[in-house]
Amino acid sequence: MLFVLLRLLPGDPANALLGVGATEQQIAAARAQVGSDQPLAVQFIGFLGNIARLDLGTSFVSRASVLGEIGNRMAVTLPLTFFGFLVALALAIPLGIIAAVRSDKWYGAAISVISQLGIAIPVFWLGILLVTLFSINLRWLPSGGFPLKGWANFGEAITGMILPSLTIGLVMGASLLRYVRAATLDVLGSDFLRTARALGASFPEALIRHGVRNGAVPVISILGIELASTFLGAVVIERVFSLPGLGSMLLLAIQQRDYPNVQGVLFVSTLLVLLIGFAADIAQRLIDPRLRGRARTLA
Amino acid sequence: MTTKALLLATLLAGVALPASVLAQDFNPDASIRIGSLYEPQNLDNTAGAGQGINEAFNGNVYEALFQLTDAGSVEPKLVESYEASEDGLTYTFTLKDGVTFHSGDPLTSADVKYSIERVTAETSKSSRKKSLSTITGIETPDDKTVVITLSARSISLPYNLSYVWIVNDAATDITATEDGTGPYSLGEWRRGSALALERNDNYWGEAPTNGEVIYTYFTDATALNNALLTNAVDVITSVQSPDSLAQFTGNPAFTVTEGASTTKELLAYNDRVAPFDNVKVRKALARATDKARLLNSIWGDYGTLIGSFVPPTDPWYVDLTGVDPYDVESAKALLAEAGYPDGFEFTLDTPDYDPHPIVAQFLQAEYAKIGVKVNINIITANEWYTKIYQAHDFQATLQEHVNHRDIVFYGNPDFYWGYNNPEVVKLVADAESAGSEAEQVEKLTEANKIIAEDAAGNWLYLYPQIVVSAANVTGYPINGLNSQFFAYDIEKAE
Amino acid sequence: MSSATMTAPREQKRHSLILWAGLVLVGLHIAIALLTFVWLPYDPTAMAGGRLEGPSLLHWLGTDRLGRDLLTQMMIGSRIALIVGIGAVAIGAAIGVTLGLLAAFASKWLDDALAATLDILIAFPTLLIAMLVVAASDTANLWSAIIALGIALSAIVARLTRILAKRVLVMDYITAARTSGSSWPKIVAIHILPNIWPTLSVNFALQFGLAVIAEASLSYLGLGAPPPNASWGRVLQEAQGTVYTAPLGAIAPGIALVSLAIGVNLLADGLRDTIDPTRRAR
Repeated sequence: MLFVLLRLLPGDPANALLGVGATEQQIAAARAQVGSDQPLAVQFIGFLGNIARLDLGTSFVSRASVLGEIGNRMAVTLPLTFFGFLVALALAIPLGIIAAVRSDKWYGAAISVISQLGIAIPVFWLGILLVTLFSINLRWLPSGGFPLKGWANFGEAITGMILPSLTIGLVMGASLLRYVRAATLDVLGSDFLRTARALGASFPEALIRHGVRNGAVPVISILGIELASTFLGAVVIERVFSLPGLGSMLLLAIQQRDYPNVQGVLFVSTLLVLLIGFAADIAQRLIDPRLRGRARTLA
Repeated sequence: MTTKALLLATLLAGVALPASVLAQDFNPDASIRIGSLYEPQNLDNTAGAGQGINEAFNGNVYEALFQLTDAGSVEPKLVESYEASEDGLTYTFTLKDGVTFHSGDPLTSADVKYSIERVTAETSKSSRKKSLSTITGIETPDDKTVVITLSARSISLPYNLSYVWIVNDAATDITATEDGTGPYSLGEWRRGSALALERNDNYWGEAPTNGEVIYTYFTDATALNNALLTNAVDVITSVQSPDSLAQFTGNPAFTVTEGASTTKELLAYNDRVAPFDNVKVRKALARATDKARLLNSIWGDYGTLIGSFVPPTDPWYVDLTGVDPYDVESAKALLAEAGYPDGFEFTLDTPDYDPHPIVAQFLQAEYAKIGVKVNINIITANEWYTKIYQAHDFQATLQEHVNHRDIVFYGNPDFYWGYNNPEVVKLVADAESAGSEAEQVEKLTEANKIIAEDAAGNWLYLYPQIVVSAANVTGYPINGLNSQFFAYDIEKAE
Repeated sequence: MSSATMTAPREQKRHSLILWAGLVLVGLHIAIALLTFVWLPYDPTAMAGGRLEGPSLLHWLGTDRLGRDLLTQMMIGSRIALIVGIGAVAIGAAIGVTLGLLAAFASKWLDDALAATLDILIAFPTLLIAMLVVAASDTANLWSAIIALGIALSAIVARLTRILAKRVLVMDYITAARTSGSSWPKIVAIHILPNIWPTLSVNFALQFGLAVIAEASLSYLGLGAPPPNASWGRVLQEAQGTVYTAPLGAIAPGIALVSLAIGVNLLADGLRDTIDPTRRAR
């Protein structure tokens, strides 16, 4: 699928290798070098073989190892996604439950309304607002960037992560919040909660004992999808905060028709998406024993 | 703006920016953080690395036989002395003693031969290849002597050689590493983020006035300005919008300098195809362009209007803004004469980065007034290169041309815009084989006037060249000719 | 007694409030979009004022770098946003519903394969898929952005359609229809689509909001609707460099975008409660 999509991009990859006034022979030679003169089937088999050997090739443009470059970019994107995810969870779970349990109070309703705002706001706009406020006006936090030495320069790396993580967390948190709220409402209206309370459990106790188990299952599958799409969708945030992440690598590679890089990033991303789905599935089974006997579905 | 005028005046006189009174107090081991929008794609300037590699490496990591200084003069760098034969067809260069590469190897004539041949090689992507095409032979009689023979006189040979980095002939894989003779060697490079240059303590010349240089790269001009505002970088190599300058001018924490620019915004027609093969059509479009208003839209009070491809700093400059002044009525009349009384329609291939999309929209609105319909087609830099520069498959396009002394492009009928005037071709060739500089200037001035009369292209405006730094940083180049940014004289006070 | 049951009437009142708020916001944008066809303050491409003028009686929201009226651009933006949203959802629905139904009806292994593919695709953000599709198309125009967004949305629609259709397929009346010899197209048209339509249409409203925001992000990355389409995303991107000298240029399109996206989300919420009364009881 990736392979087909990639070959659809206009422009010959050989062009990326050549310069001003290349002759026909040079173009032919370059095609032979990158393999774009071969029939598609041959290219495809070569592609599969390389992937099996975990050889993602070298970039046409920078001539650097694709896998090595992905590793460098992961050092930014993985922590960024992870911190953003933490922020989202820290916001969404308590606030979502409050919004559901106290939906009759003004603050319950206020939380729901604000979460609507969070879903509707374009992520880069929020990022720019936060930079203007916290970096330019208050001078509390850096406006972006990632230190040259990477995580070896821990202080700088971590402070640079705060604003982008917050931006991701706010947006992801807002949509998660709605799911948490809906799941909590389902639990609140369910029979077993009423039964538990009739049997003498206090309300918070009943909610925690039975609510978490029943409410968490649908939320976790949403979490999985959100996590995966944040990981891949960080490109806009990386642009706003000048972070050298996987998304900006992909965007640049697409613009430069740097096929090995595009292929590599998409391949690794797909792998990650599958892994996250698998992890979400396991988490669901651990929480709800009833699912353990069931055949695995990603839904 | 008197300070601006004064600055420009000092500069034109070829004098470097006066150092701050505090300059003695600089930290000799300081780390200089340079913010830029132009990250190199790789480290080899003959492999399509982009202008970013010149900015980071030229004069800093690699040196050439000659150097184009920030003031615009060509001075010997790695050559001790040189002489040309009477007929101007043989040049003999003697190399400096005691020059070593970062790997420790000494500089020899074989390295020079290897380096020149790298640029002229068939696989080279260097845009300067053509200007070295008169070289017919390179001899190395001994380790310190290089003899170059030419097929025709070439008055700008030293200038052209200033583009040729001298690379160790034993170096391998210089797309990802380097082996030059410059005052810095490559430190760490984190792609998409930053590239570090470390001081070379075995440098043959005068030691840099700082300890290391970190080029930090941004994709977004606003993010770059924010970085300087929040002290994440010390200096910005070129500011791309007048509005961001408002944050720095009048703020004592920053220094804003306006240098002499060579960057021209150009509406290039494909002069091979109708209707742009008709000089009247080209002149009509030139007269239908309110360039003063366009410049004001993009650059506010900055920038300069030009009447041809030549900036005021080139020796063959003459003021040609009066050749096709803004005049909608005469534009309409010219169109009618050319056989397009009701106008026509064309596609404008527009690179997807600033300022081209906004310029395209301006032209679209302007030309609608004379009945010419512009269809804007947004393309990436990569597409521009393959579709326009290589395949010449376009009607008109927008592009910024950064190099100085590049009027010679109009003497090449195979260039992407396809302007072919035998008179100009001859003048440009004669200028190159001229016996004296005065003769060269005379020929090129003549060529300059002809391309303006022919409206060979539509030269919209000259960008300002603006560098902004923190007030405690001095000694950086302010003209940035050919995107060079020499870092070795930068001083940072504590 | 749980709070939810106790406050059912108040909840109901809140739901109708949500529906109304959504209707008003979306209605406002539709009204502005329709108005642009008959009246605009200025020609959208006319450079009617000076560079970056502030708000005035002549230009209520000021002007951009080229001196074009910002209010005019915002109004055109409403039109473009609605075209983008409706176009993308229509394409997403056409592809998604077809694929989803196909999967629901298909043999076990084909269904499994389709379901697994959709599960992977759905984790790829709309923006990323749109990025790839835009890059694959030779000429960029408003339609290439819309098609890209439509394709990106189709995975979400297909997945939902498949689940909903499977739920309906096991019902007794389908079995009855099948045994009585009804053709598949007939079963789809008479039994399945009407049954899954309410839930799908709510989802379409949400997708609409998603498409409008994604277009803005594409524009921010330079991959959106090319000029002279004054999409909000494009105006925002062009105003980015002048955000400190003329902040209104960036604020106005942002507010326009957020108000439309909130509008459709509220509308979707309100509709769901109206269409699906079982959920209203919560």
